[in-house]
Amino acid sequence: MYSDYFWAALFLLPNLLGFLVFILGPVIASFGLSFTSWDLLTPIKWAGLENYKTLISDQVFWKVFWNTIYFTVGTVPVGIILSLFLAIALNQKIKGIKIFRAVYFLPVISSTVAVAIVWQWLYNPEFGLLNYLLNLVGIDGPNWLAGITWAMPAVIIASVWRGIGFNMLLFLAGLQGIPETYYEAAKIDGANWWVLFKNITIPLLSPTTFFVVVISIINSFQVFDQIYVMTGGGPARSTSVLVHYLYQNAFQYFKMGYASAIGYVLFFLVFTVTLIQLKRAKNWVFY
Amino acid sequence: MKKKINQRLQIISYVVLTLGAITMVLPFLWMISTSLKSLGEVFVFPPTFFGEEIVWGNYPKVADRFPFGLFFLNSLKISFIVVFVQLFTSALAGFAFARLKFPFRDTLFALYLATLMIPYHITLVPIFVIMRYFGWIDTHYSLIIPSLVSAFGTFLMRQFFLTIPKELEDAARIDGCTPFGIFWRIFLPLSKPALATLGVFIFMGTWNDFIRPLIFINSISKMTIPLGLSAMQGMYSTDWPVLMAGSMISILPVLVVFIFAQEYFVRGITLSGLKG
Amino acid sequence: MKKLMLVILVIFGILVLNSLAMSADKVTLQFMGWEASPFETSITEQSLEQFMKENPDIKVEYTPVSGEYPAKLLTMIAGDAAPDVFFIASDSYRSFQKRGVLLNLTEYFNKEMDIDEFIPLAQDKMLINGEIYGVSSCDVSPVLFYNKKLFDEAGLPYPPNDPEKAWPWDKFVDVAKQLTVKKNGKTVQYGVSGFTIEWVSAFSAMVKSNGGRVFNEDYTELLLDSPEAKEALVEIKNLQRVYGVSPLVIANVQQGGISSTQMLQTGRLAMLVDGSWTLQQLAEMDFPLGIGVLPKFKEPVTIGQAHLYSAWIKTKHPDEAWKLIKFVSSREYQTKLVRTGIWLPNRMDMYEEENLANWMNPDVYPDDFGNMVKYFTNYAELWVAVKVPSEAWSIINEELGNFFVTDQSIDTVISRMKKRVDPILNK
Repeated sequence: MYSDYFWAALFLLPNLLGFLVFILGPVIASFGLSFTSWDLLTPIKWAGLENYKTLISDQVFWKVFWNTIYFTVGTVPVGIILSLFLAIALNQKIKGIKIFRAVYFLPVISSTVAVAIVWQWLYNPEFGLLNYLLNLVGIDGPNWLAGITWAMPAVIIASVWRGIGFNMLLFLAGLQGIPETYYEAAKIDGANWWVLFKNITIPLLSPTTFFVVVISIINSFQVFDQIYVMTGGGPARSTSVLVHYLYQNAFQYFKMGYASAIGYVLFFLVFTVTLIQLKRAKNWVFY
Repeated sequence: MKKKINQRLQIISYVVLTLGAITMVLPFLWMISTSLKSLGEVFVFPPTFFGEEIVWGNYPKVADRFPFGLFFLNSLKISFIVVFVQLFTSALAGFAFARLKFPFRDTLFALYLATLMIPYHITLVPIFVIMRYFGWIDTHYSLIIPSLVSAFGTFLMRQFFLTIPKELEDAARIDGCTPFGIFWRIFLPLSKPALATLGVFIFMGTWNDFIRPLIFINSISKMTIPLGLSAMQGMYSTDWPVLMAGSMISILPVLVVFIFAQEYFVRGITLSGLKG
Repeated sequence: MKKLMLVILVIFGILVLNSLAMSADKVTLQFMGWEASPFETSITEQSLEQFMKENPDIKVEYTPVSGEYPAKLLTMIAGDAAPDVFFIASDSYRSFQKRGVLLNLTEYFNKEMDIDEFIPLAQDKMLINGEIYGVSSCDVSPVLFYNKKLFDEAGLPYPPNDPEKAWPWDKFVDVAKQLTVKKNGKTVQYGVSGFTIEWVSAFSAMVKSNGGRVFNEDYTELLLDSPEAKEALVEIKNLQRVYGVSPLVIANVQQGGISSTQMLQTGRLAMLVDGSWTLQQLAEMDFPLGIGVLPKFKEPVTIGQAHLYSAWIKTKHPDEAWKLIKFVSSREYQTKLVRTGIWLPNRMDMYEEENLANWMNPDVYPDDFGNMVKYFTNYAELWVAVKVPSEAWSIINEELGNFFVTDQSIDTVISRMKKRVDPILNK
């Protein structure tokens, strides 16, 4: 009978190997790279804090930084509220729940590229469906993806549309985990639906809500596909975000060091925000 | 009184859900509608649902220049291999972290957890260099090998294994079972739901992955569906009927799979939510 | 247990089979380019068939690429998985050569081709310190396409195709205004479009036309801050913002969703500034097409450039690669494509009077196109982007995009552009 250590090694080895080579290793390497200047073809050069110094004065970097925040603020709260209400609606023992679930999940399983292309067409200022529908109610639709004011909101709307089904299902699971007995008891005491919602649903749903919020924020900081496909970061960089700028610096301009520095700023952002949320969780999450 | 409120709530819910459902479906209907028109009929205002005639020709036109069948097979092959192997490595390591004792176990696990917060985009450049070193650029290896291991998967499996009662394991040990036997005969069978959950996540993530094929793949014959779609967009930039036909072709297979496997998807998502 | 082993074996099998590379005793060349049109690709592929017949020991696999071409090419080179022969855009050529990734073709070229055959700007383009790393494919220039029907309906004279008779800017704007039609507050017909398109680069011609320069003689300083240059740029922006004769078009990739050629064809647009390569597509669309010279500020100017064919420095088959390059840059190959309207010739003698009929296909080129030929030989300047680092040029385009699309003033944009570009020019 071999010791636990032997077995542990056996079980762990493939995973650990992959982890070191493809996860931990690159993370550390990338950190090192952020202090260099390298274009993949000519020899690598040490650059010290140059990249970070340049970042601070890089107007484009700050633009994409705030664009990322803009995108997150635009997609997360709205998306969460909408999916929560949809989940509540779906929880009312409606007939045809399976069909609704399937329909809402359709955007989620579709490739982001396909979704982006379809929305690009929907947003066409002259012939797109969206402006036509707005026209029917008397609104003169804007230029959407072609103008700097509305390009980002356009991407936000498409992204929210895509993500609702996913969060809705998560909330539904959470709602279904709340025992009916709580509601029964409260109703006997004469509580109306608002009281029920505020005092039972929200607190008991909070672990799920917390999970959804954290995941949504982390994901929205890392958005890339829709930006690349729908707008290419334009017009005039109004929709370019951190990951997009990282990609451009690495694989279009071939400034590997600079791209790595951008990556670490992104990491720092995600880390800080998640940490803040974890700390604040104690205030509103009940188990 | 209670019944009336319930009924009212039900009706409101129904209305809200239906409105939402229409919003979800409308873009897809529009996609189908456009794909069946000729180019000239697309640029009309007000837009029509059907053109003068139904043009099926856009579909062969797309498939002609872009081997979507091949893209589908590529995506399928890559997703399957990654799901299978990643489940395996995650389960093995998860078991080790949950049930075996060895030095630095918890520190190592904390390290795994820490990397979860790191955006994977940071790793793209070093992985590119590694792939280049092995000569795997523009091959499917570059999309498969780096994804064979996942910190998230390891985490999920470990969490799940922790919930399996110790008594089962103790009983097996008394019977003289090796850890591998315990793993194989007890833990794995019990973890089917967790494996299904994880499997669904991995599948969706790999199938829809765009940035990695974008960076690592160049030849048309090696492209996956998202990348193939994007290449098609580059070529047909404002030929909307063809673009919509291509998008339709790419969504259809996943749609079919989803309709049949809906239960698994849903269960997968909900389980992950509860565990979170 | 058994089922599991089977699955593992199958997967292993797939992986192994995949790694078995195909071997060939023929030399296979990977040839990569971008697709300017499906028709061009099919002609290319047909011609390559002919090449393979003439060279039975060489197989050519042609891959047209869509998307960001220079980035894609560089990624492939950086990933050690580059094609043997490839198109290279004239504004990437020098940057790539500096990185040491292009095969030096000078010896091959001097043995089998003659530099003096080429038009002067093509020579200037190809030679880097007297050496050849790529052979020019053809020539292209921005021109003014127009829809004759709209001019007839408005009773206006057609734009001239003789550079000596080029319209002064004010007259041009006036005509554009007369051809801009509004209905219910919406513009249903625009006078002109295309001055702001990045890859057409008409702005550099207009700056030169007004007596300004984009760069100084040795390309170490950006000179767009001169009053002449600024005036030209402001006037281009005015076409959309002040005179309302141009639609809002983003200076680079994503446009409103309908292509400008479609707009020209359907009568939504009267004049289109676009690269001469668009002629192939426009000639196939069913409408009365005219081609003229660009308007001038002070002097009639256009720019000339075209992609080159280069080989990867690490190609395993340099001799065969050269054979392919020689073939695709040959007169015969070029003439085929020039006849479709997608290219213009880059050989001096092809522009001589008696040789025009060889390539001036009457189905594509207007009958009086002969008047315009001197525009390309005498009034065209080598595109300035060719001589500066790609990074500098993309900053210029990015800032111009900012200027044309937002409300920032010309002074703000140019001074910021200069601050970013000058250091790069002087590295």
